[in-house]
Order: sequence, then C-alpha cells, then structure tokens
Amino acid sequence: MENDGKQVCVLLVEDDPGDQKLIKTALMNQGCEINLTIASSGETAMDYLKMSAEDAVRYSRPSLILLDLNMPGMGGKAFLKKIKADEDLCSIPVVVVTTSDSETDIRECYASHAAGYIQKSAVPEEFRDVLKRLTRYWFSVSALIKS
Amino acid sequence: MDIYKTVVIMLIEDDLGDLKLIRMSLREQRIANTPITATSAEEAINYLMRNKTSEIAPMPDLILLDLNMPGMGGKEFLRRIKSDPDLKTIPVVILTTSDSDKDILESFKLQAAGYIKKPVNITDFQEVMQTLTDYWFTICRHINYEPDRQVSKCSDC
Repeated sequence: MENDGKQVCVLLVEDDPGDQKLIKTALMNQGCEINLTIASSGETAMDYLKMSAEDAVRYSRPSLILLDLNMPGMGGKAFLKKIKADEDLCSIPVVVVTTSDSETDIRECYASHAAGYIQKSAVPEEFRDVLKRLTRYWFSVSALIKS
Repeated sequence: MDIYKTVVIMLIEDDLGDLKLIRMSLREQRIANTPITATSAEEAINYLMRNKTSEIAPMPDLILLDLNMPGMGGKEFLRRIKSDPDLKTIPVVILTTSDSDKDILESFKLQAAGYIKKPVNITDFQEVMQTLTDYWFTICRHINYEPDRQVSKCSDC
C-alpha cells in the first residue's frame, strides 16, 4: 500500500507472552509503520478502546484487531460480540488468531463478523509464515481505516 | 482427507472486462477454485437465497463484491447478506475501483472482510489475487474448509 503519511494501528489481544512476541516481530518486519498496542485480556482491550474513543491523540484507534479466543476473564468470542454490537467500534476488522480448531468456534466467529479465522501453528517457523501472509493481505492489499 | 477441496468463490461484478481479468487471475492461483459469477447484486442475492438450504448448489466460501453496479449496489447487497442468519457467515471482500474514505468506512461498517482497490494492470491484479487467496484459502479456516498451509504441495491443483 502506498505510504499516505497515516499510521496503521493494530490492537493485539493476546494473553500468551510467547505468541505476543512472535506476532509483534512479524508486524514490525512490515514495510509500513505500525503502531502496535498489546492487551493481555479482553477487559484491558475494552478499556483501551474506551480510552481511544475519549482521547484519540494519546490512544490511537486501531485499524485492525488481532484476537486470541481462549483468555482468562472475558474470552475472545465475548469481546468480538461486544465490539460488533458497538455502533462506533463495529467498523474495525477483527481477525481471530487462536489455537482452537473447533468447528463451533469457527462458525460462531464468522457469524459474529470476524474478518478471518486463523489457527496458530505450534511450529514457530510455520506460524511466522502464516503471519507473513496475514500482514501482506491486511497491510499491502486491503485498505484500512487509518487514524 | 481431501485437503485439496475446490474452493467456491462468488464474483459479483457487472464489468465483463474486470470479470474476465478476475477469472483469469483466479485460474493462475495455486489453489483449485470454482468461481460462481453474478453480473448484478440482484442475481447474486437470488442465487444465495434460492440455494442457502440446498445441498446440491454450492454455496460460496468467499464473495468478491464490486461496489458500483446498476440497480442494487454492492453496499446494499452487503447489508442484506450480513443481516441474514444463514448467509452472514460468508466473508465478503470488496473489490472496487473506488478508493474513497467514505466507501472504505461504510464497507467495514457493513462488515466487509477486506477492501481492495482494483489494480490497473494485469501483473498487479494477479499479485493481489495471489495475496487474497493466500490469506483466505491458505491460512484462514472456513466453516467447511480445511486449509493446506503447505501450498507448494498444491502446484498441480
């Protein structure tokens, strides 16, 4: 995508520090400048989004959310439903990145308007390859709403 | 296990030149795919409504949707699909000549799963389709589709 001077902000909702690191590295290796915010729980992510609605200068509104499903407290599916029911936040595409391969999870996430459902690979090299394809689609081919 | 299942992609596009280009680009991809073509949103809606409970006619795994079409526009189509309990699980990606911020915002608000501005030359078009199919059919899981991450194996698809 051409550099239009605007920044792509990504909110990663993920409780596993190892996966956080892998995803962060994959995002940082992109050609465009990415402002990454990491939330370790659905609740923290909701708090961040509320703060971003009040003060978009300090807390950039994400252009894309990468969401784990299985987290303590508010799970990924509840978070997704909440975002998509919110008039202001529903335009943010949410990609699910999870270890779950349950058909129920896949169906529920697409029914809640996930913009992709990606199963984490246990092999780091394979997971890096998956993230490379994910970032190429979202940051080189698809337009995003930038802040 | 049939990991090389043919994926079904619905193309909704009124411009026959663009349609030819999309179909040609899809043929070049490493993933076996069967396009269903509709030259208007009405035709696409009719197909989906008629066949959503049928086990004979294939339902799309992904819809590629033009925005500017005579009659029902792409956004109205998207609104209808995403409010239908049986059809809302199908990801819809916008493929359009428009790069207006308003169209991008409205499309994401209506739950588009991507917004792609049509490239002007064939090489760029093929690259875009490669990235799109890589994302949707190599790494994304679908309701009835198991992706194959080892795409190199699929060179004979």
